Formats: sequence, C-alpha cells, structure tokens
Amino acid sequence: MSATGTLPVARRPGGASTRRLLANGTFNVFVVYVLLFVILMIKQPDTLSAFGVTDLFNNALPLALAAAGGGLVVLTRGFDLSVAGVIALTNVLIATALPDGPWGAVLAVAIAGGAGLVVGAVNGYLVAYVRLQSIASTLATMIVCSGVALLVLDAPGGQVPDAVVYGFSGVLPGNVPVSAVVALVVVLLWLALRRTDWGVAIYAIGADETAAALAGIPVRRAKFFTYCLAGILYGFAGLMLSAVTATGNPNGGTTYLLLMFAAIAIGGTAFSGGRGGVIGSMIGAATLTLLQKVLFSAGVSSFYTGIFQGLVMILAVVIGAITARLAEGRAR
Amino acid sequence: MSGADPQAIRLHVEGLAKAYGATVALRQVTLDLRQGEVHALLGENGAGKSTLVKILSGIVTPDQGNLLLDGGAYRPGSLMEARRAGISTAFQELSLLPNLTVATNLLLPTLIKGAGGLAATRRNQERAAEILAEFDAADISPRTLVSDLSLAQKQRLEIVRALSHRPRVLILDEPTAALAEPEWLFRLIARITAAGDVSILYISHRLAEVRRLCQRGTVLRNGESIGTVSLAGTLDADIFRMMVGTSPEGHQPGQTAGTQSDAAPAIAVRGLTGRTITDVGFTLRQGEILGVAALEGQGQRELLRILAGAVAPLSGTIEIEGHALRAATPAAALSAGIGFVPEERKTEGIFLTLGTAANISFPILNRLRRFGLINRSRERTAVQGEAARVELAPRYLDMRIGALSGGNQQKALIARVLLSGARNLVLFDPTRGVDVGTKQVIYGVIRDFVAAGGSVLIYSTELAELVQLVHRCLVLYQGRVMGELSGAAMTEERLVSLATGHGEQERAAA
Repeated sequence: MSATGTLPVARRPGGASTRRLLANGTFNVFVVYVLLFVILMIKQPDTLSAFGVTDLFNNALPLALAAAGGGLVVLTRGFDLSVAGVIALTNVLIATALPDGPWGAVLAVAIAGGAGLVVGAVNGYLVAYVRLQSIASTLATMIVCSGVALLVLDAPGGQVPDAVVYGFSGVLPGNVPVSAVVALVVVLLWLALRRTDWGVAIYAIGADETAAALAGIPVRRAKFFTYCLAGILYGFAGLMLSAVTATGNPNGGTTYLLLMFAAIAIGGTAFSGGRGGVIGSMIGAATLTLLQKVLFSAGVSSFYTGIFQGLVMILAVVIGAITARLAEGRAR
Repeated sequence: MSGADPQAIRLHVEGLAKAYGATVALRQVTLDLRQGEVHALLGENGAGKSTLVKILSGIVTPDQGNLLLDGGAYRPGSLMEARRAGISTAFQELSLLPNLTVATNLLLPTLIKGAGGLAATRRNQERAAEILAEFDAADISPRTLVSDLSLAQKQRLEIVRALSHRPRVLILDEPTAALAEPEWLFRLIARITAAGDVSILYISHRLAEVRRLCQRGTVLRNGESIGTVSLAGTLDADIFRMMVGTSPEGHQPGQTAGTQSDAAPAIAVRGLTGRTITDVGFTLRQGEILGVAALEGQGQRELLRILAGAVAPLSGTIEIEGHALRAATPAAALSAGIGFVPEERKTEGIFLTLGTAANISFPILNRLRRFGLINRSRERTAVQGEAARVELAPRYLDMRIGALSGGNQQKALIARVLLSGARNLVLFDPTRGVDVGTKQVIYGVIRDFVAAGGSVLIYSTELAELVQLVHRCLVLYQGRVMGELSGAAMTEERLVSLATGHGEQERAAA
C-alpha cells in the first residue's frame, strides 16, 4: 500500500490522495531532501551556481547508482552485498588499466558495465538457479571482488585518465552536469522498466514468490536479470566514483555498502520486498550525501556525520513503518 | 471442438504417482474427465487432491503415470505450458499479488503493450474491465490494489483469472471456501458448460454443492483413486465410506478407559470468538480426552492457538482449573498448566540445530540451575525419565534433533510438554507424518496422562484416530461447533457428515 504511487498501473483515486501521498516513501524522502537543500542555500548562497549544482550531483551520483541497483534487488526481497566489491574492482581497473585520450573513457564505460555484469550474473545464477540465500552468495562475490581489487592495486593510487575525469564529472555545454544527465537516464530507464513485464515481475516476486510463480511469472529468469542489472549499476557507480576522485582505492567500496542500504531504507523501499521504487532509493542516496554537506557547512565536525545519518535513517524507517501500518489498517 | 459428445474423454489420467522423498503423495490415481462435464474430486485432507491439482497445472512433475488431453500426450513442464495446452486453475491458496492492481493481476504475466513496448495502463485497465464484466464481476474495479479487496473478492478474482484464459479444462480447488455468495460461481459454471465443451474438475468439501454441480465424482484416499461414481445414484453415506475407507471395528470404547462425568472441569471455554471462530464453548474435564474434528480451515487452528496463548481471542472466556486465563501469551498459558504441541513441528516446535536433550529440557531450565548455570547431570536425569515415558531411545538424546525422524522428533516434543508439568495438553495433529508404531506410543502416552488425572484436547486430521482415542468429539464447521459426538454415535461417517456441514440432516435422521 505505502508505495502505491510507484507501482506500474496504480492510479490514485481523488479521495484518498493525501493519505496515499504521505504513505509514499519517495514523496517523504523528497520533502526531506528539499528541506535540507533550503538549509544549505541559507548557509551557502552559492549552492545554486553551476559549480555548486555540479558538485551536488557528482557527490551524490556514485551512491545513488549503487542504491538504484541495490534497490532493485531489495524489491525482489533479496540483499546484494556485492556492491562494495564491484565498486572497488571497477575503480582500481579504471585507475590502472586505461590509456589516455577519448578511448580511455569508452573503455572505462565498457569495463564498468562488463565487470558489473559478470559479477551480477554470478550473483543472479547463484540466487535464482542454485537457490542460495542472496545475502550469502553476494557476500562471497563481494569478498572475491575486493580480493581481486587488492591484486590489481594494493594501495590507494593509480591514475584515472583525464578523459574519464572530465568526461563524467564535468559539464556539458550550457553548464549541464554530466552526472545529472546520467541520473536522468537511469530514472527514465527505471520508469520504462516499471512498465515492462520484467518490472511487474520484480514487484510480484518481492511480494510473494510462490504466488508469482502460480500467476505464470518466470520467477528465476526475472531474478537473474535483476541481479545482472544491479551489477551493471554498481559498475557505473564505480565509474562515477573514479571520475570524481580521479584516483584508485582498493578499499573505496566499503563505505558504500552500508550507506547503500541506508539510502534504500530512507527512500521508502521495504526490506521485506515488493514495496518502494528505485527513484526513492536514488533520492535517499542524494539525501545522505546532502546531509554531509549541510553538516559541514554548519560547522559540525565530520565525526558527527555518521550519527546524523543514522538518526535520519531511523526516522525514515519509523515513518515508513507507521504509514505501512496505517495503510494496512485501512485495508482490513 | 464445439460438438457435444458427452462420452468423449477430455482428460485421461492413468496410474499417476508422485512421492516427495519418503512421503508418498499419490500412489495410483486414475480418472477420466469427460468433455463438458463437471467432475468432483472428493477426499479427506491429505488424500492427494492438491498434489493431483499441481500435476495437472504443470507445477509438479509426476514420477509415474500417463496423462492424455483430448487423446494427445499431455506433459506440462510449467504452469504456462499447461495454460497453453488449455488447462487453467483457480488455486485454493490464491495466487494473487497483493501489491499489484486487479488489472495487472488479471493480465499477468504479460501485460498489453502500447507505444515503445511499454505497458499501456489504460488499455490494460480496459481489457481487465471487459474480463470482469464478462464474468459477472464488474463490481471489482480494475484499478484497485488486490490488498484492498475482501477475501471473497479475491477468491472471485482468482476464479475470473482462470476463466479468462478460456481453458478446455478448468480446475477449481475449493472455490467456494471464501465465497459468501456461491450462487455467482454456480451461474458461471452453468454458463461456461452450457456449450458442452469446457470440462471442470471441481474440488470441494461441501457435498451439497458438489451434488448440485457435478454429475460424477472420483474419490481419493491415501493417494489412490478409490473409484468414480455417478453422484445421482450414490448416497452420502456411501461416499463418506469411500472417503474414509471401511472401518469394521468402529468405535472401540475398551481402548480408552471411560471417564467420570462429575470430574472437575479442567478447561472451560465460553463464547470464544476470534477471526475464524464464532461462539465456541465446551468443558473439558479432568481425566478426559476431548477430540476436535474439522476439515481444513474451519477455525481449529485458531481455537487451539488461542488455548495455547499464541493468539488473543476477540471475545469469550477461558477458565483453566477454575481460574480465568488472562494474558494471551504462551508463557501465561504454560504457567496456567497448558502444554501445547503445535501444528508445524519444524518451525513452531523444535529447535532443529540443538540436541534432543536440550530440546526436551527447555521449559524447565530454571529448575535445573545450580549457581545460575545449568546442571547437566540434573538435566540428564530429568530428560531420561520423560524420554522413557515416550519410548524415545536414550541414544537419541545426544543427537541433533534435526537428524531424528519425524516420529522421534514428535516424541521429544511430547516429552518436553510432559516435562513442563502441564496438567492439560493441547495437541494439534500430534501424529501427522509419524509411523504406525510411534502413533501407538503417542496414544499410550495420552491415555496414561488422562488416567493420572490430566486432560487432553486433541485435533487430528485422521478421523479414525479420533474415534479410537477420544471420549467425546467436537466437530467444527465454518468456525462454529457443528455438533458433539460421543460413545457409539461417534463414527467416522457421522464425523465427516457433521464436518461437511450436514448437521441438520444428521439430527433429523437420528
């Protein structure tokens, strides 16, 4: 119920629209984001400058892409920990193995998508066809990828080609940040995916896998491809991280693991599956990174960042639980 | 295909068998479904009906046997293959997705696509509305989320979805279980079978409804098809006999010793109402075994769980040995003297990964402490005493309980309840899935328990067991006590008759 607005063919009838809006996780997190944004504008009036906006998008996008992928898997009632490994792996590959020049940027995209796809396919195979628990199999692939990342680059360093740095963290003509375009493309792809049989299957599987199978949904295939797509998104998260930091760090993915799940929860996607949406997860990620910026601009020591992020997450989960309970009470 | 040859065989099932590991679900099932007929599938719980439905629907692959659909081999590898071959099913457990709309549920797994290959919301809703209108369910809005529908509406949606695939064979598994107005379904069945082409396999516990709709019926018992009968020429009593098997011995009062009707009440229940039960009342006396008989889903699960403190009733009182049971928690029920053996042994009963002894000693750990730590030798002594009582061999005590057979797990669970010192036992189907020898041991334990002054409330899916074991038997039907049988009047046939809602006729005949 609480995610009505994000479901494929659900329409809000006029009467209950306010309640439904409140029960919509994406809407709630959007309100929080706007509030934080207003605070930041008061503290730092140059936030809306071309540089400020690009900076916001660049900071948020790696986590937002990770949360988009992780959110897809959570919608099917799975957990994907491999995100930390994939981000680290793509980051060190891009920082060590690429030539300079435009070909470097093209290869970077291929490496990010390819590595993510391979890891996602392994995850998907283990979860959907071998029927292992998602948390166990993706933990294993995460550890393997982190190990490979250390083999490629055993300490922070390396050099990300300029073409990647400027190509993905820069601006297009008209001061449009490339990262904003990437975010928009992902959102549009998600809006399209929701209206395919696969997208409907993702929600159905998350709600009740047995019923989904009895309704004729190819459960295993849909799960497999969901992990594949999630892997590709993690790969692009690693690419964006490389572009923003311009360096390689074999341990760089670790911080993303827990923040990704926080972003998904804040964005209104239920860990029990079947409720929520990818846009919410992405705004949740943006909220967490914006919170860092607001605290910094308010002069709060960065040691406090974790405390505030945790509090925001508790708040979001509590609101989500209350609205879900309200919605359930009405259905009865 | 529209020619109505009443003798033509639509679906031929021969020698079908299916086992899950050591559990045999179907032994030998043979039946013929004629073109255009409504054919009843009858049988007790666990007779194999749902396995047969799953095989015909393409969800389960049989181990042996032949299926012919309109004369051609039929071996569906998936639900979609079965659907393409012309067999669709309205499942008993409902296969609807609560977080999707009615329209999406109806059109799954392939929505209507518009521009760019994306689902066209409006067109899906229009198509869904057409389907709903066609099958007389226009009151259900295609835009509603399924979680917002009532149970009856969900059941109708499940049926409409099966019908919308225009099957040659329609399987309806307990289609009226949640329907307040079954006439809707009866009208639909009359309409779609009017042309004489669609065949329906109809599964229901309600014999009155089966007689009204079906021409013939096949009876399953213990995974075997006992026979196909013409319903018009067969008495209810004969059908019941086929369902439960011949039981020449009937009630054997000698097996369980008699009870004193003036003994003090152990459990007194008045006006108990919950979500699935209505106004249930009874008195269980000390030294008495009271049975509960019911077909699946008649409220027995909630009744026993309320007594065990696992769920709170909406209204009504429970007195245990004269004291009202207040808090609805398992701990409160336990301290009031109720020991509960739950339905799902593996998930609600035992701790699979712990040792057998630890599983048994669990409720009395506080009595086994010395200086705050559990004294293993005291635990051993206490556990061995109870294990001997349920004839659980001592060598099992050190093994992980998960490695034991179902029968031995059940013995351990009963030993635990006995060890807790409960004076009243509430047992949910304690002999399900256990072998014959263990059953006899469990019966013996129950009889000894009441002979020592304890009281037992037992629900069982096996009517023969109840007839043999209990002093009195309550029969639940749709959440109400349909009747109570005791002594010579307590026969399997009478129990089945009451359990299928034939209380009034039974009384009139008596």
